[in-house]
Amino acid sequence: MAQMQLNNACKDYGSLRVIDKLNLKVEDGSFTVFVGPSGCGKSTLLRMIAGLEHISDGELLIDGERKNEATPVGRGVAMVFQNYALYPHMSVERNIGFGLKMAKLEKKDIQDRVQKAAEILKIEPLLKRKPAALSGGQRQRVAIGRAIVREPGLFLFDEPLSNLDAELRVAMRVEIAKLHRTLGSTMIYVTHDQTEAMTLADTIVVLHDGTIEQVGSPVELYNDPDNMFVAGFIGSPRMNFLQGTVTLEGNGANVQLLSGARIPVTPEQTEQWTAGMRVHVGMRPEHLRVCEKADPSSISVNVDVMENLGGTRYIYGQTGDGENITVEYREEHLLRSGDTVSVRMDTDKLRLFAESGARLRLATV
Amino acid sequence: MSAARNNDAMIGKSSPWATWLVGAVAFLWIIPIVGIIVTSIRPLNEISLGWWNVEQFTLTLDAWRTVWDKYPLAYAFWVSVKISVISTLIPMIFAPMAAYAFHFLQFRFRRVMLIIVINAFVLPSQVVVIPLFVLWRKLGLIDNIWAVIIPFAGMSFAWAVYLVKSYLDDFPRELIEAAQVDGCGPIARFFYIVLPNSLTPIAAVGILQFLWTWNGLLLPVVYLREELPLTALLARIQGVYDRNWDQVAVAAIVTTVVPLIIFIVFQRYFTAGASTRSGSKE
Ligand SMILES: Nc1ncnc2c1ncn2[C@@H]1O[C@H](COP(=O)(O)OP(=O)(O)O)[C@@H](O)[C@H]1O
Ligand SMILES: [Mg+2]
Repeated sequence: MAQMQLNNACKDYGSLRVIDKLNLKVEDGSFTVFVGPSGCGKSTLLRMIAGLEHISDGELLIDGERKNEATPVGRGVAMVFQNYALYPHMSVERNIGFGLKMAKLEKKDIQDRVQKAAEILKIEPLLKRKPAALSGGQRQRVAIGRAIVREPGLFLFDEPLSNLDAELRVAMRVEIAKLHRTLGSTMIYVTHDQTEAMTLADTIVVLHDGTIEQVGSPVELYNDPDNMFVAGFIGSPRMNFLQGTVTLEGNGANVQLLSGARIPVTPEQTEQWTAGMRVHVGMRPEHLRVCEKADPSSISVNVDVMENLGGTRYIYGQTGDGENITVEYREEHLLRSGDTVSVRMDTDKLRLFAESGARLRLATV
Repeated sequence: MSAARNNDAMIGKSSPWATWLVGAVAFLWIIPIVGIIVTSIRPLNEISLGWWNVEQFTLTLDAWRTVWDKYPLAYAFWVSVKISVISTLIPMIFAPMAAYAFHFLQFRFRRVMLIIVINAFVLPSQVVVIPLFVLWRKLGLIDNIWAVIIPFAGMSFAWAVYLVKSYLDDFPRELIEAAQVDGCGPIARFFYIVLPNSLTPIAAVGILQFLWTWNGLLLPVVYLREELPLTALLARIQGVYDRNWDQVAVAAIVTTVVPLIIFIVFQRYFTAGASTRSGSKE
């Protein structure tokens, strides 16, 4: 069990700044997921915590102690790599026990702990095999075994499931969640897949270009994103963004869409608002409804494709002004390409963003 | 039908032409070897018209006996073994260490030092023969096998380090990082992770270096007087009379047989390639 904190952590590769003055606190026992698009610095950040990458500036604290200069073992971390990184010349048993051997544990002790880890991960029959004789999923289990056997305070996972096929990925995801519950250790998990982040995390850290966009629980990020980047990244299918223009009316305001639909809103802080300013109107597909009749606040959508996922169906289409829009469809009768439907949304579910991408919060009634 | 035939070609079933061609080339290669063997076991007067001449055909071990009695063949063999084994083991042990350090560790002047080491590549060994001779004479190392071993081993580092280092270019860095997380320091990472997975290039270094030092002639001839390895002795036998082809053939066989065996036994290491590579990739 360990708590981890970064103060103004930076990483430079030559003149290229990859992580910029990052502040973060990971609570003891939490499952924290770093999520963000490819190349945003997730792996770099994780490797800085692991001790594989020098921290150019700032401070890393583990359990309150500065650990910038400590070795990975000195930091009490274990890591699971994306490509498993199993030692090809060692049997599974020796792969798992290798860290213990380096820590100079008794042979008997090592055997017991390897056995226990193998039981937890259900890989006992594989102990004598070499990594080359294992399937992808089995290799990943061994890699996880190698991490848990050392009983570290902090587990680091770098996209551990991205080399597995979809079905196995879901199964392993569940197992990692279980493992976290069983061990109770602090885990930091890197992924570019927001579904993985949503399902595993108790805290999500959204990264973008080496800085944190937002930290929060999955529900917080979904319901209350700080900015357009987070709103667009969290949630699947992606949130729709339509263009709008603000007109003020006393304490209230109206947002007018390109289609002419007017949505009355109540700003939380009126000083952020000016008449005529352009905004992005964010609406999630699952908060849009196809309605029978057009009215002033509805949007008409030309259907391009209807995607049937079995339980849910999505309409991919365009508004009259050529903006792309995705709508969850709950009606019975099927739509065809070229059909036009009217779509309405609950005003309390829409999220407004300034041109800069910053969130414009609305007063909750 | 024709699709099936195409398939055969694609999965590499060779055409009969290729077999014949390879056979012919192999035959051409083997003629000199047969020639040497035949020369060594026939009397000199019979082979003066060519070893293939069969007007008269007698088999004799005379040449073998003469060479054995007249020249210190066994001793020269022993000297050859000592020189080759020691000058081979040195780069086999140290070149991987150097390659590892240059490839995976950070230290001052890394690039400059690497360039200096690799640059010895372009230095022909002939250039160092005279200066080294002067040096060995001052140090009293003439006729001492170390006078040959030191330059043999030293000059091999350029290509040996380069060879192992280029193999390490493809070495999965994650393995080394995993070992780091498992608590290995830089030296333990080399011995536990890099070394066991680099047997292919190390074997290649060993085989090439052994063959080169075994066959090396220039340095032994210049620096050694009595402690002669086989190649130098062969040169001497050749130099004594002008008509002793049978004896020369004997010495040549003795000299060649070791590299031949080495090559046959270890040839799979030349093709083994990346089979030791990581279980990390699918
Ligand atoms: N060794 C390096 N030298 C220079 N740039 C690097 C190095 N490693 C990573 N980067 C850069 O740092 C950025 C973040 O990389 P990374 O942390 O691997 O991203 P992610 O894991 O989020 O996909 C990328 O733009 C990448 O090009
Ligand atoms: Mg990455």
